[in-house]
Amino acid sequence: MLHAFFRNLFHKKQTEKELDDELAAYLAETTSENVRRGMTPERAAAQARRDLGGMEQVKEKVRDVRAGVSLEIFLQDVRYAIRSLCKNLSFAAIAILTLALGIGANTTIFSVVNGVLLKPLPYPNPGRLVTLWESHPAYGPFLTVAPANFYDWRAQSTSFEMMAALDPYPDFILTGTGEPRRLAGGAVTADFFPLLGVHMALGRGFQATEDHAVVLSYATWEKYFGARTGIVGRQVRLNDAGYTVVGVLPRDFYLVCKASDFQARTRFDIWTNLGLTAPPEAWQRGYHPLYTFGRLKPAVKLAQAQAGLDRVADNLRRQYPDDNKDKGIVAVPLEKHAVANVRIALFTLLAAVVMVLLIACANIANLLLTRAAARRKEMALRAALGASRRRLAQQLLTESAVLALLGTALGLALALWSVPALVRRLPADLPRISEISVDGRVLAFTILITLVTGFLFGLVPLIQSRGASLNARGVSCGQSRLRSALIVGQVSLALVLLAGAGLMTKSLRALLQVSPGFRTAHILTARFSLPPRYANGYKFGTATHREISAFQRELGRRARNIPGVQSLGFTSYLPLAGTNNDWSFFIEGRPPKPPGVFDATNYRPVTAGYFETIGIPIERGRSFEARDDEDHPLVVIVNEAMAHKFWPGEDPVGKRLKFGDETWRTIVGIVGDVHHHGLGIAPEPEMYVPWGQVPNVEVRPIIVVRSPLDPAGLTGALRKAAAEVDPEVPMDQVATMEQLVSGSVGESRFRSTAISLFAVLALFVASIGLYGTMSYLVSQRTREFGIRMAVGATRGAVLRQVLRQGAKLAAIGVVIGLAAAALFGRLIASLLYQVKPLDAPTLAGVSILLAAVALLASYIPARRAANADPMDSLRYE
Amino acid sequence: MPESEILQGTLDLLILKSLALDKMHGMGISRRIFQITNGAFEVKAGSLFPALHRLEQAGWLSSVWGESETRRRSKFYQLTRTGRSRLQSESQRWERISLAMASALRAT
Repeated sequence: MLHAFFRNLFHKKQTEKELDDELAAYLAETTSENVRRGMTPERAAAQARRDLGGMEQVKEKVRDVRAGVSLEIFLQDVRYAIRSLCKNLSFAAIAILTLALGIGANTTIFSVVNGVLLKPLPYPNPGRLVTLWESHPAYGPFLTVAPANFYDWRAQSTSFEMMAALDPYPDFILTGTGEPRRLAGGAVTADFFPLLGVHMALGRGFQATEDHAVVLSYATWEKYFGARTGIVGRQVRLNDAGYTVVGVLPRDFYLVCKASDFQARTRFDIWTNLGLTAPPEAWQRGYHPLYTFGRLKPAVKLAQAQAGLDRVADNLRRQYPDDNKDKGIVAVPLEKHAVANVRIALFTLLAAVVMVLLIACANIANLLLTRAAARRKEMALRAALGASRRRLAQQLLTESAVLALLGTALGLALALWSVPALVRRLPADLPRISEISVDGRVLAFTILITLVTGFLFGLVPLIQSRGASLNARGVSCGQSRLRSALIVGQVSLALVLLAGAGLMTKSLRALLQVSPGFRTAHILTARFSLPPRYANGYKFGTATHREISAFQRELGRRARNIPGVQSLGFTSYLPLAGTNNDWSFFIEGRPPKPPGVFDATNYRPVTAGYFETIGIPIERGRSFEARDDEDHPLVVIVNEAMAHKFWPGEDPVGKRLKFGDETWRTIVGIVGDVHHHGLGIAPEPEMYVPWGQVPNVEVRPIIVVRSPLDPAGLTGALRKAAAEVDPEVPMDQVATMEQLVSGSVGESRFRSTAISLFAVLALFVASIGLYGTMSYLVSQRTREFGIRMAVGATRGAVLRQVLRQGAKLAAIGVVIGLAAAALFGRLIASLLYQVKPLDAPTLAGVSILLAAVALLASYIPARRAANADPMDSLRYE
Repeated sequence: MPESEILQGTLDLLILKSLALDKMHGMGISRRIFQITNGAFEVKAGSLFPALHRLEQAGWLSSVWGESETRRRSKFYQLTRTGRSRLQSESQRWERISLAMASALRAT
């Protein structure tokens, strides 16, 4: 029957041909019979055709019948399935809910994986887009690029249709549209937008040599310029200068990037022209601000392009040995680069949620088995009444299909609700969050898992029904084995998940226990952005930016008067905020280094009061004081890591170092280390410089305020104080230090929470499965237990026997699970902080937990068996 | 009897009965029904073939391709196990009905 159905579906032509042949044969038979009766061949044939009553009509009737019968049988099966599911509502409800949860969770996680990892990048021909980096054997493969080097790469390489550069740091203060606003800017070469294949929503992109032109993001255009279409060609005030708006980007444009790129900057409000049309000056080979992109020519392979870049790098090493010693060039596909850090984490989550679904499938298979056992008599009766095995199988499959379909519908509804909810809770540094949605590919995935799960749990009763003609004992024996196998599988999968969750949770806890090296409680931070006039025209050189420190002094004085403020200080690079800067220096009395080699380390401009406010301990020497300003001798403070690295076994206090060609500055103190880049990343050498004595331009002072009051209450007072000092200075990025710490472990926390949730779900579902199976096995042996107890076995003995059976299954599951967990652990090793994938306490702990739950799940049916009246048991059946 | 008057259940039962002894092709089945009903039913192709295909799909008949007595390639139908038990149960039912009908009609 099934066979005929599929033949109808897939072999229509074959069926048609067979029908033709069959009718032709009939016609021929009739004709020859007519001839035998004495007709002439012509009359015989004519008579036969008349009898047939029109070839086409007959064929049409047959076709109708075939289609009708298939449909009717199918509908009949569906009706039967629904009726029999309704008869056992609790079974149907449990099965459908379990499936819906499994499929909903899978669809949700897959939509994240799809949006972040699988969808093509939102640009035309995304496969040809690459990011280009400088590389150095000592400093790593992904270094940002010097403008002069980029200029030469673009001129010398032949594999690229276009090459463009982005300087992600220029910031602009927008004035003339109400309150002054700080806008995150990106300066790009004119090829940047054409390279990404972006078409402006309004106006155009940059022309190569255009200056003081600006492209607005769609959001900026809406927010600050009221989405007026007349904006193109208009002037706007940025950093006290006039810029002409030449274009507005489309609403859905964004630059796909990794969170760690651009120092935690994930959006750009405004774009300016970087130029780079003429060969840059020589100094622009020693300074590395650029992120660079390339679009491969069609049909050029990445390896070819890399070979070409290697030749260019070789030229540049020879031509500029000072700056480009040992420097290479690396090309990485943009789609790989952006998601490099989250790939393993997301696939781990997907694997976890698939395991949950498998466990759920096993449970439904178990339920179906129990049902099949209960319906064995019904099936046997139907078989005796002439139902073919195929017909019965088809009915069972239809039932599974109805379950799967209802489960999927509910699961999909669940996913449609949970995807947007999840997107809001995802760690903000996950790339491509905006592309997460339930799209065609996600639906295809859902359909696929529905088919697979429906097939998996639909198959089990089929296997069982093969034994329908066997005697009752044979069936139950085969069933027990199948059920035991299902339980072992569930237990081992649950163990893998629990182990994964245990490892990740332990890792998160280890991460959170890391002392960051500073105080996190009662600290409020906020950023100010000073317009360029404060910076004296971006002139580099110590003590040239007096207005910046004057602003800080005045703001500090006013802020200290805010009730509740205990102390405050300023810094320009807050720990755990994703920003950083480093600076090269020379140590007095050390031999000069060869060209291109220099000592460099992380560099933090801070004011007096910063260490005390944020609680970084002064280990030796002194802290910064108010007198460490433009008019006093230059000083510097180093942290312990820097002291160990550059003055091993020596006391650096009193020693001197200098930046570039300025005068020597004295090390006056040593402070404790902080985890600047993340709790899981070891502290690095750092040097602190008083703000009034910085050699560069630092126009983004971040205030750090210590107060026992609610930080939210302080924000308004702080904003007011700043406006009193200068109404044109915007304040933003208000956050407590606790928020920053929590945000820095967001990805780790999300991962660990999600996998723990799946593990708990898995444990729950698996224990239900174990309970169900043990109950079933006990009910099968009721008679046996009755006889045993009748001949003198104690209740305790029966109890122990059942428990032993449950424990055996659990133990096998745990052993297999441990082996699988070891493999899984190795896959996620890179996600763990200070926890080994084979962490014995974790593995032992989850094994014991699982064993305990398994014993509990078998204890209830075991007690039932032991407490049963032996006489009842014997009368049973 | 004109064929329109043959009830569908009757036709199915006649087809099953005609195949009780051996497999047969369409023309053979039609001839056999004519014979065993003493010429009362003459089943035309327009009813016969749809019925045959329906019974095949219901799993009561199966078919094989073979050579007819006139050495033509023909489709032969035979009873399946299910078909045979169906024939049995249907015959009994029919006998009960016809006995009941006969006695009802004899009653005065």
